[in-house]
Amino acid sequence: MTEPRDPRRVPRPAQRGGQPPSRAGRPPAAKRPAPGRGAPRPGARRPGPRTPRPRSGAPALRLGSPRPRLRLVSLGLTLIMLIFVVRLFQVQAVDAGAFAAKANENRYVPVKLAAERGALTDRNGVDLATTVDAYDITADPSLLAPGKTRTDDAPQRAAALLAPILHEDEATLARKLDQPKARYVLLARQQTPQVWKRIKNLRKTLDAKAAAAPRSAPRPDVLTGIFADKHSKRLYPNKDLASGVLGFVNGAGKGGGGLEALLNKQLAGKDGKLVYAQSGGRRVPTADTQEHPAVPGTDVELTLDRDIQWAAQQAITDQVAKSGADRGYVVVQDTRTGEILALANAPAFDPNDVAKSDPEALGNAALSDAFEPGSTSKVMSMAAVLEEGVATPSTRVTVPNRLHRGDRLFADDVDHATWHLTLNGVLAKSSNIGTILATGQLGRTQPEANQVLYSYLRKFGIGKPTGLGFPGETDGILAKPQDWNTSQQYTIPFGQGLSLNAVQAASVYSTIANGGERIAPTLVRGTTGPDGHYAPAPRPAKNRVVSPKTARTLATMLESVVDDEEGTGAKAKIDGYRVGGKTGTSNRVDPKTGRYRGYTASFAGFAPADKPRITVYCAVQNPTKGSYFGGQVCGPIYQQVMAFALKTLQVPPTGAQPPRLPVTFTPGQ
Amino acid sequence: MRGQGRPRGRQKRLSALFPAATAPGTAARAPFVLLIVVLLGSGLITLLLLNSALNQGSFELSKLERKTDELTDEQQALQQEVDAYSAPGALERRARRLGMVPGGAPVFLLPDGKVLGKPGVATSDGAPLSSSAAPSASALLGTAALSAPAGPSAAPSAAVAPPAVRPPVPASSATLGPQSTPAPAAALGRPGPPAPAAAPPAPAAPRAVPRAGAPTAPAPSPTTSGR
Repeated sequence: MTEPRDPRRVPRPAQRGGQPPSRAGRPPAAKRPAPGRGAPRPGARRPGPRTPRPRSGAPALRLGSPRPRLRLVSLGLTLIMLIFVVRLFQVQAVDAGAFAAKANENRYVPVKLAAERGALTDRNGVDLATTVDAYDITADPSLLAPGKTRTDDAPQRAAALLAPILHEDEATLARKLDQPKARYVLLARQQTPQVWKRIKNLRKTLDAKAAAAPRSAPRPDVLTGIFADKHSKRLYPNKDLASGVLGFVNGAGKGGGGLEALLNKQLAGKDGKLVYAQSGGRRVPTADTQEHPAVPGTDVELTLDRDIQWAAQQAITDQVAKSGADRGYVVVQDTRTGEILALANAPAFDPNDVAKSDPEALGNAALSDAFEPGSTSKVMSMAAVLEEGVATPSTRVTVPNRLHRGDRLFADDVDHATWHLTLNGVLAKSSNIGTILATGQLGRTQPEANQVLYSYLRKFGIGKPTGLGFPGETDGILAKPQDWNTSQQYTIPFGQGLSLNAVQAASVYSTIANGGERIAPTLVRGTTGPDGHYAPAPRPAKNRVVSPKTARTLATMLESVVDDEEGTGAKAKIDGYRVGGKTGTSNRVDPKTGRYRGYTASFAGFAPADKPRITVYCAVQNPTKGSYFGGQVCGPIYQQVMAFALKTLQVPPTGAQPPRLPVTFTPGQ
Repeated sequence: MRGQGRPRGRQKRLSALFPAATAPGTAARAPFVLLIVVLLGSGLITLLLLNSALNQGSFELSKLERKTDELTDEQQALQQEVDAYSAPGALERRARRLGMVPGGAPVFLLPDGKVLGKPGVATSDGAPLSSSAAPSASALLGTAALSAPAGPSAAPSAAVAPPAVRPPVPASSATLGPQSTPAPAAALGRPGPPAPAAAPPAPAAPRAVPRAGAPTAPAPSPTTSGR
């Protein structure tokens, strides 16, 4: 009756227990069946043959009560489980956030997706600044140590192979590579992908050779330790062309000067981010990834014309060298839109390699230099005189040899007997005395005249920002009329005692060319956003300075300067065209001492005079060799640049005959 | 169980946990095991296939990315080459090597045959921009022409042959106001040797003497500047 009924359960331990006696001597530990394996009773542990009825056996076989043991085990289990539960609770609920963050830190890898910097193009879409891939070539010199390569001259051989590819000095490379302890050296910066490809190919052939060579032989694969870091690089394909306008990009990839700095935000775009789950350094394909793609920078189209810019830059660079001058600028402006077609500085710099450039040449001197314009600013005095109706081009002005005004004697640049000039002649022959006499008529008293002249100068944009917002731009210096000192009130009419920059000066002539309405100069024509949508730049501000009639009259007077045999600007003539312009030779304030020293030669004008399209302004600072007169130094530049611009823009001459206003009069008639 | 014998206490409870092997209505074991094995196996195989497909995709991706990089690099290199060739300075140098000289002031031929502008003769130094002012030696104008094919002509030195080649004036400068009229414009505009039509413009009598005559020592004070 007590015989176990279930054959599946009971026989197993029973059988095990009933093994042949030979096995009975085993240590009990080895024999003890695991509790989980269904040993129902501790009696199974007992060696020796056993009867199937344990309870009817000898009293020695009596089983102990399992209850306390079970209780102990279950208590232990409960305790362990309790610890687990508490810990689980702590991990999952209490510290869950911290642990999740820690896990994410390792599991998710954020990768920065660099946005491509927008390009700067000229008005025809020719790239002036663009972004390309570049590689910094680096090396791990420890891989070239004698122990690794089994040769002593591995660094030298690697240097010999790399020198012609990197265009670096072989000895320098060898010295850099011959540091068996070092793990990193920079061999060359910003190499083209082609250079890196050549190195890779060379390495591949050497590796193949090394694989074929016997193990103990010297390893010929001396390029194993050469690596490359990829990044992007700003490239200016035209080298120093328009460098002053474009500026440059600094080592951090941000605009460091010029338009690169001004438009940095637009050009830079927005860096993207890619976050993916990784395991063992590999991306987990099924795990979710967050990708914020980079927004590429906006492409900016400038108003510059590459060809005209080149002609202007070439001409001014040559002239500055020929005259032994400090620097020079040429501004070419479209009179009808205010767009700057060329803005050339000499000397220029190469923005591809700012580090090697002359720090003096960095920047845009045409906008950052304030200088006294000299006679080119007489045109503003004439505009005031004509617009106020106090004189006409044929008004007679008797110009004495010397004129006493204020505390000094004023003279013209040539010592002359008394001239009998018309107002037109005063401008053509650039008479200071004549200009002082004419502007004296602007008001009943000198302060009144000063006030009127000042208002016109302001309207022409003197002493005000040009509107370009260019970094480092100067507003020029124009004192308030009540602050003009005694001599200033007589020198300002002929362009001394006030300062402006080259673009402001060009803008004055563009204003007259544009029928008396000033259009703020612009350098940006439009932008192409990352969506490919082209947005034209906002229209520049306009303000009327003089009436169209006055502007027309002034244009004719300016023609006399170039066209008349007594004019000062004969060198600026262009056959077939009616050209208006004005020479300027001013005393230059030496920026180092703040005193007058040397000259500023300048020429400003526009063509065709009867239907103006283009303004060209040229200034050369401190010419020391040859002539220093504006007509001699800058006249030819004006002529070259203007002719080139007329050709490039296909501006035909009007074919009309110039009116040839009289320059002199015969007294008594 | 089965009604006979009554296992006592614990044994009974334990035995109740096990289903009777031969109980009627119990499903056969083999098909079930088979089903599980098939399910597990197919799951494994699916995972394997999925994994290898993903890997295959990532291989493909990296291969294509590498190719894109390579092609981008090549495109950039070629673009730089084109830029270098089309830069105005480089064009000017090559034009001069071909014996071209800067053109003079532009001339336009209108559809009605009227000529706007004043044609001039180009010399080996280039054409003067105005008949009164001598052409400056450094006249650099109008050389941006690539219209003349570089051709095999070994460029003769500019001094020997006044450009038999087409003048370097870009098409733009020789064309006229409105449009078209190709050849005659060039011929008229630039009276080279083969252009009999345009009479060489008599260099207008030396009117407008350049007022270069240096004025006597200008006093270096702001009161005397001018011109």
